[in-house]
Amino acid sequence: MELLEAFRLVAAPDVLIAILASAIYGLVVGSLPGLSATMATALLVPVTFWLSPIAAVATIITASAMAIFSGDIPGCLLRIPGTPASAAYTDEAYALTRKGQAELALGAGLWFSAIGGIVGTLSLVLMAPVLAEMALSFSTFEYFWLAFLGLMCATLVARSSPIKAIASMLLGLLIACIGMENPAGTPRFTFGVPDLLGGIEPIPALVGVFAVSEVMRAMVTPEPPKLPDRKFGSILANQWALTKKYQWPMWRGNIIGIIIGVLPGAGADMAAWVSYAMSKKFSREKEKFGTGHPEGLVEAGASNNASLASGWVPSLLFGIPGDTITAIAIGVLYMKGLNPGPTLFTENARSMYALYIIFILANIIMIPLGILMIRMASQVLRAPRAAIMPVILVMCAVGSFATGSNLFSVLLVGLFGCLGFVMERNGYPVAALVLGIVMGSMVEQNFITSLIKSDGDVLPFIERPVSGVLAAMTFGALLWPLGVWIWNRVQGPRLPAGSAAE
Amino acid sequence: MQLSDRVTGGVLVLLGAAAAWGGSRLPAVPGQEVGPAAFPMLIGCGLILCGVLIAVGIGRSFEAEEAPETPHPWWYGLRALVPFALLLFYVLASETLGFVLTAAAMILVGALVLGARLRLALPLAVLMPLLIHLAFYKLLRVPLPDGLLSPPW
Amino acid sequence: MTETSRRALLGTGAALLAAPLAAPALAQPRWPTRPVQMLCPWAAGGGTDAVLRIIAALLEKELGQPFNVVNRTGGSGVVGHAAIASAQPDGYTLGMLTSEICMLHWQGLTEVTYRNYTPLGLMNLDPPGIQVNVSAPYADVKALAEAVKKSRPGQMKASGTGQGGIWHLALAGWLGAMGLPASHVRWVPSNGAAPAMQDLAAGGLDFTTCSVPEARAMLDAGRAKSLAVMSPERLSAFPNIPTLKEAMGIDYSTGAWRGIAGPPNLPAEVRNVMGPALGKVFNSQEYKDFLNARGFGLLYADAAGFGRHMEEADKSLGEAMKAAGLAKAA
Repeated sequence: MELLEAFRLVAAPDVLIAILASAIYGLVVGSLPGLSATMATALLVPVTFWLSPIAAVATIITASAMAIFSGDIPGCLLRIPGTPASAAYTDEAYALTRKGQAELALGAGLWFSAIGGIVGTLSLVLMAPVLAEMALSFSTFEYFWLAFLGLMCATLVARSSPIKAIASMLLGLLIACIGMENPAGTPRFTFGVPDLLGGIEPIPALVGVFAVSEVMRAMVTPEPPKLPDRKFGSILANQWALTKKYQWPMWRGNIIGIIIGVLPGAGADMAAWVSYAMSKKFSREKEKFGTGHPEGLVEAGASNNASLASGWVPSLLFGIPGDTITAIAIGVLYMKGLNPGPTLFTENARSMYALYIIFILANIIMIPLGILMIRMASQVLRAPRAAIMPVILVMCAVGSFATGSNLFSVLLVGLFGCLGFVMERNGYPVAALVLGIVMGSMVEQNFITSLIKSDGDVLPFIERPVSGVLAAMTFGALLWPLGVWIWNRVQGPRLPAGSAAE
Repeated sequence: MQLSDRVTGGVLVLLGAAAAWGGSRLPAVPGQEVGPAAFPMLIGCGLILCGVLIAVGIGRSFEAEEAPETPHPWWYGLRALVPFALLLFYVLASETLGFVLTAAAMILVGALVLGARLRLALPLAVLMPLLIHLAFYKLLRVPLPDGLLSPPW
Repeated sequence: MTETSRRALLGTGAALLAAPLAAPALAQPRWPTRPVQMLCPWAAGGGTDAVLRIIAALLEKELGQPFNVVNRTGGSGVVGHAAIASAQPDGYTLGMLTSEICMLHWQGLTEVTYRNYTPLGLMNLDPPGIQVNVSAPYADVKALAEAVKKSRPGQMKASGTGQGGIWHLALAGWLGAMGLPASHVRWVPSNGAAPAMQDLAAGGLDFTTCSVPEARAMLDAGRAKSLAVMSPERLSAFPNIPTLKEAMGIDYSTGAWRGIAGPPNLPAEVRNVMGPALGKVFNSQEYKDFLNARGFGLLYADAAGFGRHMEEADKSLGEAMKAAGLAKAA
């Protein structure tokens, strides 16, 4: 009965219009470099003032899901990720485009985003209380190991020398030290510049190292041979085959996305990184990664959208934001009288069911609207480079300006562009730099606060059951290559010389 | 800007040393045993280690070979700085000139440097700023400066 | 409810255009004759942003000109606060001040103080509460205070925001009022109130001193309880929580507040129009409903009252910061 009532709530014309309008809006904003899914939702807040409660939440749900998917589009077509959640696998998707398989890459992004979103929603429906209990058992000790594991993904994802990847990541961590947003509240490395007090936001850094450095590269390289001018093939044609072939990675991506999404403070960005790294680690075709291989796209694409849905679990049950998007959504929920808390599930079950339906609906209409968007966006491949690049540069300036109406971020974008360009030329992976900037404060915050809480004792870091498991995983991952190396050294002489070719 | 690993490794060592030194000078905070200095110093030491390893050339074998570059006159590399210069121009000029004029200038220069004909660059420089302005100013309500020339909306 | 659903429909249609539903003003004053920028020193989506946006929407209805909220973020609020102080004093750039303006200069992070503004009206104040885990053995705030007094210095841990944030100062002030040094309870810095409340529920902390609305979801979920609130009166949204004075006879109150101000030397006509307009906004049903729905505390003061409020807050926060060793020795 409640379910029927919920369907009636969603079928109201104002809700349907809101879903459609915010879907288009989310697709457009997510695909613009510099405008993240968070930004897309933040800008919707004043609009929700005038909407009914269900319509208001529907706009947030729909726009954020669309924006996370459409962040894949510029990443795939131009090697410029639209949102930080796409940065992990941008190189892979772009490599597929260069091989003339843009539709496969974009289709995988779309199809597995939708699947991830739906599986994530199902986890929300079926396991919300269990997942919430898990999230609440995470203290700063566990978060420290989690963030540390996230950082280690940098070395796994990179195609270049692992030492350079670690160096890039450390550089990112150092950049994250800037400002006074650290546990001590002390300004660090601000050089008296007030703009630096708040630290360096990941968005200008991301736009700089990916988009601006791409424009810089265009300035000094001859125009790449044009892709054969042909009709864009069917976008969904091969997805079913991919689903069957990479069933296991897909499920792993979904599950990891759900787990990371449920944990407050770790969102879609981290889910994509961890899943891509996992995919590479456990793949039977590791050597193909980075050369245009869809396996990682399947896993990470599913993962970041699954995390988006499960991120609502702690928000709805405890009012604790799972990521920045749900932080905004919580404000809207309160404003509309849908106060988060267990009572929302019991007293307001109707509205809860309506939210579930909207989640599923948003992920279903993502497919046709996404196809349209992909078809339009792929025209970019046909336009001459001299027309695209300057426009992207202007968008970088406006996009970074938009987050805080601060010209300083435009300057930052330029500086990060130069840094990214130099790094890229010398074999330092820029994605690792972005990961360092995104994760830096999380690592430090949880490390320092854990030490404060334990009065300087390191034992609780491994004593608590969950943190013990995470610590073992971290050390295992750290020592694994060393173990393999020693094993090879010991075994080496006995093996015939030819086997080194592996 | 292709530099040898010796140079980039050396730069990292210097940067790490600077970070560790700068971090060590940060004041302690009452009530916290591990102050704000610990993390920068740790990162600084890590950077020094990585820098040394890179400069010595450990782990080079993992890297993919790059395609040889075609020879260019010495100033050709400087073209890479054009986007940065254009962004700097935006920072300095957008408040006075306004968004539309600044963006038009950026697009015109950028397109010409990339080898576009005037036939393509001019219409692009006129139309795109207006479109972007419409999208960001009206739809996303970003307060883009008007300056000398404000669009009709 | 037909009125709301009609507006909802209209709003949806206009969602993409973000068209304001402004009612035309009846009388045209000399100010404002064009759109007014409202600077918000904090990011879109946060509490300050939300409060400022509802005020802007209501001012627009009141005065017939668009009031556009612009998030001028950066530097932990320094950049936005400085931008309001240095704006053209023509009344077309105003903004929202938050408690941080009375804290940043003590830390030596900016030269700008509350004296660099023309105050126009105080619009909201959130007093801190004292929250403990629901399974904690403290029946009331007195029991907690006894436990705090008996504990070794640094043995008990509290959190609610970052180091030197407003809730850290609330703790320092409360301890000071009990005659204890600020470092008696160790402060665990956190990225805002939500992670602190989570850690409280996970059993990692002894208590939190964030505002009650920030703790609300955990209170509703039955994971935490609020023992007292540091304000002169009980909160209208949480009438069951006693004040510190009622519960243990300590007359200490503080809070995070938000108000509207402009650059110095605003023309008299701007002040004369804006002052009463803000009063009307505060008394409107929409504003009250909005703040109550989010649990934000309702407190209003006119221009002169806001000025006095900031002067007092600056003094008391400065003292708390010195006591906690957070102020820069200057």
